[in-house]
Amino acid sequence: MKKYVAGVDIGNASTETALGLIENNQLVECVSGIANTSGIKGTYDNIKGIEKSLKDAAKKMGIEVSDIDLIRINEATPVIGDFAMETITETIITESTLIGHNPDTPGGIGLGIGETIRLQDIGKAEKDKAYIVVVNEEIDFVDAAKMINAALEEGVDITGAILKKDDGVLVNNRITKVIPILDEVASIDRVPIGMPCAVEVADAGACIEFLSNPYGIATVFGLNASETKQIVHIAKALIGNRSAVVIKTPAGEVKERKIPAGEIILHKRGREYNARVDRGSKEIMDVVRKVKDIEDVTGTKGTNVGGMLEKVRKQMADLTEQDYNTVFIKDIMAVDTIVPKEVQGNLAKEFSMEKAVGIAAMVKTEKLHMRRLADAVSAKLGVEVEIGGVEGSMAVRGALTTPGTEKPILVLDIGAGSTDACLLNAKNESRPVHLAGAGHMVTMLINAELGLNDVKLAEDIKKYPLAKVESLYHIRHEDGSVQFFEDAIDSKLFARTIVVKPTGWKPIKTKQNMEKIRAVRREAKEKVLISNIIRALEKVSLSGNITEFEHVVLVGGSSLDFELGNMVTDALAYYGIVSGKANVRKTEGPRNAVATGLLLSYLEELENGR
Amino acid sequence: MLEIKELGVSQPGTDAKEIIIAVSPAFGTGLTQSITDEPLENILKELCAGIEEEGMNYRFVKVYNSTDLGIITSQGSKLAGSGICVAMQSRGTTVIHQRDLVPLDNLELFPQSPLITLDMYRTIGKNTAKYGKGEHPEPVEILNDYMVPSKFLIKSTLMHFKEGKCADREMAPIDLEVKF
Repeated sequence: MKKYVAGVDIGNASTETALGLIENNQLVECVSGIANTSGIKGTYDNIKGIEKSLKDAAKKMGIEVSDIDLIRINEATPVIGDFAMETITETIITESTLIGHNPDTPGGIGLGIGETIRLQDIGKAEKDKAYIVVVNEEIDFVDAAKMINAALEEGVDITGAILKKDDGVLVNNRITKVIPILDEVASIDRVPIGMPCAVEVADAGACIEFLSNPYGIATVFGLNASETKQIVHIAKALIGNRSAVVIKTPAGEVKERKIPAGEIILHKRGREYNARVDRGSKEIMDVVRKVKDIEDVTGTKGTNVGGMLEKVRKQMADLTEQDYNTVFIKDIMAVDTIVPKEVQGNLAKEFSMEKAVGIAAMVKTEKLHMRRLADAVSAKLGVEVEIGGVEGSMAVRGALTTPGTEKPILVLDIGAGSTDACLLNAKNESRPVHLAGAGHMVTMLINAELGLNDVKLAEDIKKYPLAKVESLYHIRHEDGSVQFFEDAIDSKLFARTIVVKPTGWKPIKTKQNMEKIRAVRREAKEKVLISNIIRALEKVSLSGNITEFEHVVLVGGSSLDFELGNMVTDALAYYGIVSGKANVRKTEGPRNAVATGLLLSYLEELENGR
Repeated sequence: MLEIKELGVSQPGTDAKEIIIAVSPAFGTGLTQSITDEPLENILKELCAGIEEEGMNYRFVKVYNSTDLGIITSQGSKLAGSGICVAMQSRGTTVIHQRDLVPLDNLELFPQSPLITLDMYRTIGKNTAKYGKGEHPEPVEILNDYMVPSKFLIKSTLMHFKEGKCADREMAPIDLEVKF
């Protein structure tokens, strides 16, 4: 008896088909089909994608879609995730203590200490005092240089300069004495006049040493021990800069303030466990680990976290047509990150890297309306459609067709909103786990840490390797290798860092260099994906000891990530676990696992006397 | 005042820090003001300041055998030690070019000369120098006014005509000493 059976997996991004020819309860031939998912998973809009995917497979088998005897679709795990970020520190400058200004091209070199004076008033300067001249935009660089030279000739001790315009090098090239010159100070009128001030400029490629040291600042301004304690934040903010100014004003100070960021409240059996967001991700994750089977999560009202958690709840309620009050958040994941933020009260648009916490949440509901969808597909195609099984356990069955695997096996599917894991033990019992935090969170972290404000670009940075266009005929890849081209590269890409997409190159508009972007990308993946994989292992493990696993297999679209597979292999090798990308049916790679599982589980059912 | 002295036939530079500022045939001789009546020395001052601020050197070259900005800059870039040239017609139209590019391609082009301000010339100079250093500057924002071409059509045609009069098809690019 010949029978055509198709397993169809409707994923968030793609709809995959495994079409098998079954003769006498044996699988004779099997082909795959793929199409983009149309609409949101679980809605009627999916039918188009299903049909396309089936057609693709049927064509390879040489039959029509109507020849198929049975279609099995998956019981989609109704999981949805979202992500929010909360900045928990901010740097504030009160009065006019200018800090950490880092223009691209300061002039001169060295450390200058003196009293601030307007260049127009240099005639009034006293002979036995040292001065730092403050130059606003009214004075042209040629005139400024002339005035400084004249004053120097008269014996005025000018030890440094602060300029409004980007003229540092120009003035330096025209004056007779080498002094540190800091330029591009946008709010120069807020620089206090007649105050003790220190300007430091380091050589190209070097960092300032004196003003980034609290004791250095104490030396300059003659501070006592308790005053020195207060300027630690100034020194900290200046670390790594090529140039800096510090001005001592009577009441001025720089401080790092903690922003009240609210609390996350985890509910379990009527008890509440609180975690403060501003304490960082470690505390939140400690509480999450302690509580284990979370029943619901809420956040302090009026904070970002609270809003985000309610948004996820609302989305899920809408999608499943369920009552808002019966949707529960089952898991959260927090990671520490740093984001560039403009300093409050700044003089020249200084940025400070502020601490932030990124939080992802995951909602699980009873069921998406897959039965409804199955009936609709059946009506449309005239083929019997049934719900095959739960996504996770189907994925395991599919993944087991990878050569070199055996039970017990853990299958990991890293999606956009959630990380799903499923364990199949030797007795064929499966245990699924769903965790918050996945691909989308990585994208958001990259976006925030690089200050891109462009989610699409961040997504591309996540997915593809980088390169630098060094000339119009060659690029240098992120691993250092060089590739030459016969035809000239597009002039718009000249000298830029690019994302090497298979469909073409995309320039990254940021000042950061390729190494930094690469480091941020890898760190984001490590923080979210690798630590989530370990969390998933801890959750499914009965003993809590993850070394009990032998095989961890990655399936799904995100395992096609160009470096994730190797990162996982690397991380889990430490625990003696064999891990890597699946190769479903020896041919499909990490794709088609669920669809194949749906087909194989049908065979299993036949064996058990269906 | 803009003083221009011709030094002789220009040779390709070997200094990697060198940017070429290439100008059109009538620049500083036939024409001394841009299309907006801005004295050319003011424009050059900003352009040069932008390059100097970034720590690069510049050399002036006058291209006689064409009035086309694409051809002028292409020749200029081949003479530049860094391979980067910023070229300007007397009316103020400016382009940044790299020597591997075909003549009509460019790194940045500023076509509507009446809209270019002195601040923009400074940034153009700065960006030119940054390309020379292999950095990737944010392109200078280009202003666009659809009335400009028609408003300045006659003036730009006359200025271009003057450029043509000063051109000499047989002449190689000449090094210039420019004082302003």
